[in-house]
Amino acid sequence: MPPRGQPPPASGPGGPRPAVLLLAPLLLLALQGVAAAPAGAGGTEDSPGLQDAELQRGLLQQAARAALHFFNFRAGSPSALRVLAAVLEGRATVNPKKECQVDLVFTTDHYNREPFCLIPKSLFQDGEERLGKCSARVFFRNQKPRPAVNVTCTRLIEKNKRQQEDYLLYTHMKQLKTPLDVVSIPDSHGHIDPSLRPIWDLAFLGSSYVMWEKTTQFLHYYMAQISSVNQWKTNDDAVDFDYTVLLHEFSTQEIIPCRIHLVWYPGKPLKVKYHCQELQTPEEASGTEEGSAVAPTELNNF
Amino acid sequence: MRRVLIFSVLLGAVLGKEDFTGHQVLRISATDEAQVQKVKELEDLEHLQLDFWRGPAQPGFPIDIRVPFPSTQAVKIFLEAHGIGYTTMIEDVQALLDEEQEQMFAFRTGARSTDTFNYATYHTLEEIYGFMDILVAEHPQLVSKLQIGNSYEGRPIYVLKFSTGGNSRPAIWIDTGIHSREWVTQASGVWFAKRITQDYGQDSTLTAILDSMDIFLEIVTNPDGFAFTHNKNRMWRKTRSLTEGSSCVGADPNRNWDAGFGMPGASSNPCTETYRGKFANSEVEVKSIVDFVKNHGNIKAFISIHSYSQLLLYPYGYKAEVAPDQAELDQVAKSAVTALSSLYGTKFQYGSIIKTIYQASGNTIDWSYSQGIKYSFTFELRDTGRYGFLLPASQIVPTAHETWLALRAIMQHTLNHPY
Repeated sequence: MPPRGQPPPASGPGGPRPAVLLLAPLLLLALQGVAAAPAGAGGTEDSPGLQDAELQRGLLQQAARAALHFFNFRAGSPSALRVLAAVLEGRATVNPKKECQVDLVFTTDHYNREPFCLIPKSLFQDGEERLGKCSARVFFRNQKPRPAVNVTCTRLIEKNKRQQEDYLLYTHMKQLKTPLDVVSIPDSHGHIDPSLRPIWDLAFLGSSYVMWEKTTQFLHYYMAQISSVNQWKTNDDAVDFDYTVLLHEFSTQEIIPCRIHLVWYPGKPLKVKYHCQELQTPEEASGTEEGSAVAPTELNNF
Repeated sequence: MRRVLIFSVLLGAVLGKEDFTGHQVLRISATDEAQVQKVKELEDLEHLQLDFWRGPAQPGFPIDIRVPFPSTQAVKIFLEAHGIGYTTMIEDVQALLDEEQEQMFAFRTGARSTDTFNYATYHTLEEIYGFMDILVAEHPQLVSKLQIGNSYEGRPIYVLKFSTGGNSRPAIWIDTGIHSREWVTQASGVWFAKRITQDYGQDSTLTAILDSMDIFLEIVTNPDGFAFTHNKNRMWRKTRSLTEGSSCVGADPNRNWDAGFGMPGASSNPCTETYRGKFANSEVEVKSIVDFVKNHGNIKAFISIHSYSQLLLYPYGYKAEVAPDQAELDQVAKSAVTALSSLYGTKFQYGSIIKTIYQASGNTIDWSYSQGIKYSFTFELRDTGRYGFLLPASQIVPTAHETWLALRAIMQHTLNHPY
């Protein structure tokens, strides 16, 4: 469900872009004192004197990640998850409160597609892959979580196909016996049994919500592993899915366990509740938020 | 038959945790019924604790007895006194069991030779150390194994040396697995080791390199952490050292080097993943390399391998200042990354650590660079976050192979640009 007042995602290629409001004629400001350094280092935030270009590139990447997590969550479709392909263009502005607005355009690829060929390139004809394209405005609130995101993307998967695959996944999930014997997905060797693949995809969908909320200018996350899984039946046939996931935060390199509870039915908005174990440090980075979060207010019936 | 008997003893040994040192197995030839009876008398002497593997039956059939060490003399005297012939089938049962265990272990890992070793799966520390020994045994003229120290928990730290001779030739240093959870790196290190032995004499580039330079390869740079990722926590990154005054374990070995130590870009909190340690080189795993490199004195390229992110990085990490050799390092990185992507199209970004990834103080290649080792690089191998540390084993060999092309490019440049 898109946040109120926002246009729905474009359904066709080259869909309408939101109007880009610029705060100032000068679009690129020197980001003095705002380093691309990890916030959790415990040190001061003295600028290491990075060039604009590097800081810009870092910020654009962060914004793209936040936008994509939000997009994936909002799309609510485990068969249509996307990953970042490349940032095409963007610009960032920083206000005196060190809040960051980033406008950008980026391309996306299917999450489910194997990105690596195991055949040497010389033997493989790379056909022209169609990537999705997104434009987004992301507003980072100076290391506070929950960046505000406004994102629209061109369609990547044909609607009927997506619905079919979601429904297949849904059926599969309903048939699974719980509690599952499997402890970790993937296992230590990176292997995911094909029968467990839908669990991973659905877990990634739920984790997208968590990762969106937790992404800041400096922190970004990957879903590293599912460490436990549970599922209960519900009366209304939705998939009620409870699991613990390990998120890998890149700038601090920390592994953060999060308990996530989601309720999903194909075509309906995803409902998510979560609680992440925050690192107990004597020197808490400023602005980290602890504890449970409920999904956005329009889902408060959960 | 003997193997079955030995196996059953082994099983007993494993289950009962007995020690069979000095135990002997005697094969007795009883020539007539009277002698058979005499041996049966032995059976009744419980205090001898004899273990009949093949009991007394009829004359002409061998009788096999395992005799515990304290009883060996008495039994032999008894047999000799009665003119009963015997031979010593097994001189020392425990020695045979130990050898058996080794063979079974080697069989289990498939590692009788480096040609049958499975490079497309992740291995344990024991398996990798076993692999090293086999490789050295197969190529004694080219490969040797050095121990440069012991880990915090007392595990040996090994480096493979590839050399065609000379005396302290200019050398290339490669390390993998400094962060234990980055499993594709140790796995790639194993593959590199094998590849070097295959390419010498076959690949003109590698042959030219080894004809003038040595290669040092440390495959498991953090053995304690690596063992921990197998036994307890797959996501463990740091060493396993204990920190006084803290209940948290381990320091980040890639923040423990004496380059910008203590500056922003590492943590002073022992409970974090980027804890730098109490002081530079506090971690023995780091100190061992420092001592080795300083003693060697002729390392010309230093390459430290991590995962994940698909990056090729050069100094600095602790400061934004541009390294004096930046232009050249950038060129080398570019050609290395191009070589890498030529195989499967895998895209790598490259640049200085601080500009490309994040500020990191006390890191390995800032130190090696400060020692005058100009060609100092860090790799971050596959992937870009989809699997992260849990890269599927099916990607080990493609990753190692493409990375090797980049390593070769760096080594070739080093060879052609002596300094």
